[in-house]
Amino acid sequence: MESVLGIETSCDETAAAVVRRDLVTLSSVVESSIDQHRDFGGVVPELAGRAHVATIRPVVERALREAGLDPRRPGIAGIAVTAGPGLVGSLLVGLSFAKALALAWDLPYVGVNHLEGHLFAPRLEAPGLEWPLMTLLVSGGHSMIVYQRGPGEHEVLGETVDDAAGEAYDKVARWLGLGYPGGPVLDRLAREGSPARLPLPRGMLGEGLDLSFSGLKTAVVRATEGRDDLALADVAAAFQATLAEQLLRKLRAALARHDARSVALAGGVAANSALREGVAALAAELGVAAHLPALAMCTDNAAMIAAAGLYRLAHDGASPLDLSARPNWDLREVA
Amino acid sequence: MIALAIETATPACAVALEVDGEVTEAVLDRERRHTEVLAPGVGRLLAAAGLAPGELERVVVDRGPGLYTGLRVGIATALGLALATGAALVEVTSLEVLAAAAARAGARGELVALVDARRGEVFAQRFSLEPLAALDAPRVLRPEALVSELGARPAGLGGDGAARYRAVFAGAEVLDLAVPPPSVALALARRREPVEAVVPLYLREADAVANFTTRTRAR
Ligand SMILES: [Zn+2]
Repeated sequence: MESVLGIETSCDETAAAVVRRDLVTLSSVVESSIDQHRDFGGVVPELAGRAHVATIRPVVERALREAGLDPRRPGIAGIAVTAGPGLVGSLLVGLSFAKALALAWDLPYVGVNHLEGHLFAPRLEAPGLEWPLMTLLVSGGHSMIVYQRGPGEHEVLGETVDDAAGEAYDKVARWLGLGYPGGPVLDRLAREGSPARLPLPRGMLGEGLDLSFSGLKTAVVRATEGRDDLALADVAAAFQATLAEQLLRKLRAALARHDARSVALAGGVAANSALREGVAALAAELGVAAHLPALAMCTDNAAMIAAAGLYRLAHDGASPLDLSARPNWDLREVA
Repeated sequence: MIALAIETATPACAVALEVDGEVTEAVLDRERRHTEVLAPGVGRLLAAAGLAPGELERVVVDRGPGLYTGLRVGIATALGLALATGAALVEVTSLEVLAAAAARAGARGELVALVDARRGEVFAQRFSLEPLAALDAPRVLRPEALVSELGARPAGLGGDGAARYRAVFAGAEVLDLAVPPPSVALALARRREPVEAVVPLYLREADAVANFTTRTRAR
């Protein structure tokens, strides 16, 4: 059965994967440059770009070989590559590499929206997930609630007006001196603490479905400044509970207004334990199917780009070789 | 021998193709549109020669120093072509290509090859032209600092860094040579062994990191 090679270089992961038309993943290779960014409290675009150039060829070659393909004659149907959104100096590495492969192999290639890739991620693990699907997409760069009637038919119901959820984790972790990235360490601490010791204001209390996390970060800073009596675990628990409360409240509102048969969690913050428990409980309460991704599917990967690419190649056809990287490509512009 | 050379170290994007000793060269763009023009340009050049990309035996790429985004596009494209076709990869530097181009154009004596490094600096390297040999290592510095180093020593200057700071280099001979010609890269690469991997010659490794640290502290 025909396959597509996916390539992803929008942030700090250099990734390649081969996915079959029936969405079976034949190989998925992810190399992260995160260790180089730790000292800086966030991804340094220039370091990420440099890492991609050094890693792209071995990563793609490994993905091809692990799928049993010959890099000279891969016998695939096409190539999918992230064209945006993301860091421009990183995007153009994957995009240029993919164009060269398309040219040399004389195959169609397609520039994929990274966020649409995240929306396709649940299909790889749960192809039977029923439409319509409500996805809570939360990562270090994005936070949004997306409603899909079918593949490729997405409606952004709400998104963050300031920081992404993962960004809030990183900023709070930095404030507390816990290093980068902040998600895993705060999540671990939160499970040992009690949220009740530090009351924090709930965000975005209105009817709308947009999200906001910069106020929460500021509230944590204000509430903890000069307070040596507070246990870190309790601060982490209060922060995590407040952040999850907002996400789950907005997700509940979205599900109340739109008929959905399934709900999925996607993006790096989908690894968060409070969110996973909350989404599972909400879905059970409302009688819809819940999809919680495996941890490997939370982080950026190329299998999801290949999955989105399979759909885009079939429905829109190939991209032209003069395609530009689109660092600010809005999901709403993906028709 | 069928060899392709890719040049992306400056705002210009250029390619050259050698088929059994015959060389065709094309400047695809001069406005930093490497991402957009390079792959279609390579495709057109191969098609015009009646070749399939799979027939490439050698891919020569300029690893800089130069424009970081341009270098990433050029090197990623070269790496992709090499993986997909099995062609051998050969690397050259922008500064040695400029020097070799100057020698080919008839310049004699010494030449300082200069590529615009932005932020008020140039990438620079000194060469003697007969025979072509580097006299120092590539580095990044302010053009004013280079002027005082050179003093009264007569040296030609070539590259877009020389053109940009023509006023600073008043009195020196500035050659009309902005883009390192990929046809010259092909010639240089003929005597060179293939490499497994190519990374850009950044010359500013610590700078990006230092800037970021300053910025985060200020935030
Ligand atoms: Zn992502």
